[in-house]
Amino acid sequence: MARYGMVIDETKCVGCYACRVACQNLNHLRENEAYNFLEEREYGKFPNFHRVFLPVQCQHCDNPPCVSVCPTGASYKRKDGIVLVNEKDCIGCKYCIAACPYNVRIIKKEGYIEKCRFCLEFVEQGGQPACVTTCMTGVRMFGDLDDPNSEISRYVAQNVHLLKTYKEEFDTRPRIFYKKV
Amino acid sequence: MEKPGKTKMKPIKISRRTFLKGSGLAAGALSMGVFDFTSWSRTSMEGPVTRIPTICNGCGNRCAIFAYVKNKRIWRIEGNPEANGNQGVICPKGHGYVHDLYNPNRIRSPLKRVGTKFQAISWEQAYKEISQKINLILMDNGPESIFWVNYPMPNHGYALRLMHSLTSPHYFTHGSTCFTARNAAWNFTVGKLPANDLVNSKYIMIMGRNPAGGIDLGQVKDIVKAKEKGAKVIVVDPRHSETAILADEWLPIKPGTDLAFLLAMINVMVEEKLYEKEFIENHTVGFPQLEDEIINYPPVWAEKICEIPAKTIVRIAREMAMQKPRALIHRGYHGAFGAQYLNSFQTARALAIANSLLGNINREGGIYFSESANLGELQPTHPAPAGPSSSKADGTGIPGRYPLGSYGDGITHAIPELALRGILKCGFVYHHNPLRTNPNPKRVIAGYKKLDLMVVIDPVLSETASIAHYVLPASFYLEADDAVDTKHSGKQAQVTIQQKAIEPVFDTRSAFQIITDLGKHLGVGRYFNFTLDEANALRLKPFGVSLESLKAKGVLPVGPQWKEGFVKADTPSGKVEIASAVLNELGYPAVPRWEAPLVSPDDKDPHSFRLIHGKQAYHTHAMTANQPYLMAISRRYDMIRLWINRARAEKLGLKDGDVVQMKSMIGEGKIRVKLTEGLHPSCVWLPSGYGNFSKYLTTAYDQGLSYNDFLPTLFDPAVGHAMASEVIVQVKKA
Repeated sequence: MARYGMVIDETKCVGCYACRVACQNLNHLRENEAYNFLEEREYGKFPNFHRVFLPVQCQHCDNPPCVSVCPTGASYKRKDGIVLVNEKDCIGCKYCIAACPYNVRIIKKEGYIEKCRFCLEFVEQGGQPACVTTCMTGVRMFGDLDDPNSEISRYVAQNVHLLKTYKEEFDTRPRIFYKKV
Repeated sequence: MEKPGKTKMKPIKISRRTFLKGSGLAAGALSMGVFDFTSWSRTSMEGPVTRIPTICNGCGNRCAIFAYVKNKRIWRIEGNPEANGNQGVICPKGHGYVHDLYNPNRIRSPLKRVGTKFQAISWEQAYKEISQKINLILMDNGPESIFWVNYPMPNHGYALRLMHSLTSPHYFTHGSTCFTARNAAWNFTVGKLPANDLVNSKYIMIMGRNPAGGIDLGQVKDIVKAKEKGAKVIVVDPRHSETAILADEWLPIKPGTDLAFLLAMINVMVEEKLYEKEFIENHTVGFPQLEDEIINYPPVWAEKICEIPAKTIVRIAREMAMQKPRALIHRGYHGAFGAQYLNSFQTARALAIANSLLGNINREGGIYFSESANLGELQPTHPAPAGPSSSKADGTGIPGRYPLGSYGDGITHAIPELALRGILKCGFVYHHNPLRTNPNPKRVIAGYKKLDLMVVIDPVLSETASIAHYVLPASFYLEADDAVDTKHSGKQAQVTIQQKAIEPVFDTRSAFQIITDLGKHLGVGRYFNFTLDEANALRLKPFGVSLESLKAKGVLPVGPQWKEGFVKADTPSGKVEIASAVLNELGYPAVPRWEAPLVSPDDKDPHSFRLIHGKQAYHTHAMTANQPYLMAISRRYDMIRLWINRARAEKLGLKDGDVVQMKSMIGEGKIRVKLTEGLHPSCVWLPSGYGNFSKYLTTAYDQGLSYNDFLPTLFDPAVGHAMASEVIVQVKKA
């Protein structure tokens, strides 16, 4: 059984938002519905200045607060690591939105809650998520963390000292790992 | 903001009755559900998908893509991995612009202006009336009174053929507002515009170019690959650009002074003999003249002008020389020296010469002459028209006028001036929106309105279309086959092709068909006696590849592989011209010398700034602000703001998000500010792509400002370019 995960190299994101729109198209989202977000930060004083775009999406946590607060079981975690929302069971109560520390859940026009699904249907057919394949700087790497020969597993093994998870203080244990600036 | 549209133009109303009559088919189609996003998305999560290789039209790069059609609607696109230009990836504009196919603002049939309203008419009526009017105008005023202006598309050769069939010299591109100074300088130095071998470079300096914002996907991929192999990347830009995010160093140069930086770098390379001696001796002319001139520009001199420390200039010159010839200064595009300043030509010349001193011309990891496909001719099967007997009225290529200007591109922002003087009487504007992309819109509007006949070919009622006499709705690129294209040059040339992914949604025609139809109606049909397939097959003939195989793949490599090594330049001497005898004869300096910008902000006035501008990764020119998917990014992330240096802003009592009043000698407007440490204090930076004032563009209308609202009409005295950063503004809290 695969255990999916992602590495995001935040040193490479230039803030172009291609991931956002590629994802919107693949997942039939409207213009104001997005699963990918960028958080821009500035460091330093002129002329010693730098800025960073941090790509943020559902972290597919191993300890997902969205799942534990969901009153209907609509939010759930699959064995392959992917956190999903079953739209038929979702009553739109927004508890999960309040519980998620990453602010990545949206209310679809149809009334249910959604968020990044790691392009599940696509991945199951051997594809890669749209945010991965469209990126001109190669910010993201996606794959099976349980397969020691996968590109992502090898990368994580080699760079483990450079990788962090986002908002560790919430003990959500994300499956997205960030290579920090 | 006093919008030019509000003062100079009466709103043009499409009368409801005629509009509905003309668009009955389309209105029916829209209500059927197939084009309704919600019902489509519900039915289409599953379903058969077709994949059509074609090219993107989200900007001018024409990236090769696969378009996916699901349940008769465009679903999404992917990058074609074979293409040199985009190497399998696609930017946000490409993904977002596909939705414009279903934009309710699209024109659904040809339109004719009647008084202040547009009336829907048939194609036959449009062609008939347009050609009758043009024939009368040309009889009275001669063939040179007609023009065609476009942002180049794969079919632009056919537009040029149309003008040549009518014996008019007046085919124009947008070039004078974009790149003509850069091109002229490279032409005078090495004979043509070269490319950058970024992926093999060990030291990359990028000045005034931002491929991660004004997106060039292949270049960004190559920069990332080069960095992974250990290359150093330096970005010289007044703003911490998106490319600067990837760089090892950001050098925030004072805008308009890149020439001083380059002259000082050359000074160091010459004084310290860091240049590639063998290359200079064997392949260049004029080095001794450069030695004589460059002594005037030591780094300590440059530091005072460009505000980059002298020791930094010295260090970078030395570091680059250590890596030569695998070190390069990016050949540039629009920013800094494309069409920005009075000194842009000299800046680009200095840049070309600095590269030459590194001995990197046509070397791996340097500046190289890319392989570009030379398409076959239509003749002798279809003889070419004789062409014009007069030269362009804008003076490009003429000594005493704009001798360094590009005759092929013309001076696009001279069109309204030539119209006001009664020289141009009628014309076509295709895939171009000069009312929004040319400086000084009031003047541009006055000029284009002076025309006896103006025909605009566009999918929507842009600012320019909204003052036209006739508007011909071009099919969207995903609905139309088009001419074979050569945009993807590289280490091996490539040809690409635009193919229809779905049938036209409205009563539109492909631009290729519109051009050939016009030829037939204007009495020059003998030059347009071919089908698109026939013409495309003839164009591909020299390469021995079939049209069918190109259609199947979307992109095909053709011709030889690039070979390293400098042999000969397309210059009068056959060598790299560090000193140019031609420039000397024309009365310009043979080697570059310092030239100050035309205008500069007043250091003593806290309100005085230079207005500079640049692209955001999710907008193209004035074309995409009407695309809801792309505008949603601008709004969600508060991107429609004027950047201002934090310390300067605080002196004006400004906080992040405050509204300011910005005023130049020709215009004024209000906009919110973004306070940042990432901008040179002497300037404010306005993202381009906003400030649309056509009320027919419901998403784009009245969002932000355009730098063109502040720019006076200027013509560089040698090249004729727009000098688009030679403008000083007063910024005050509103």
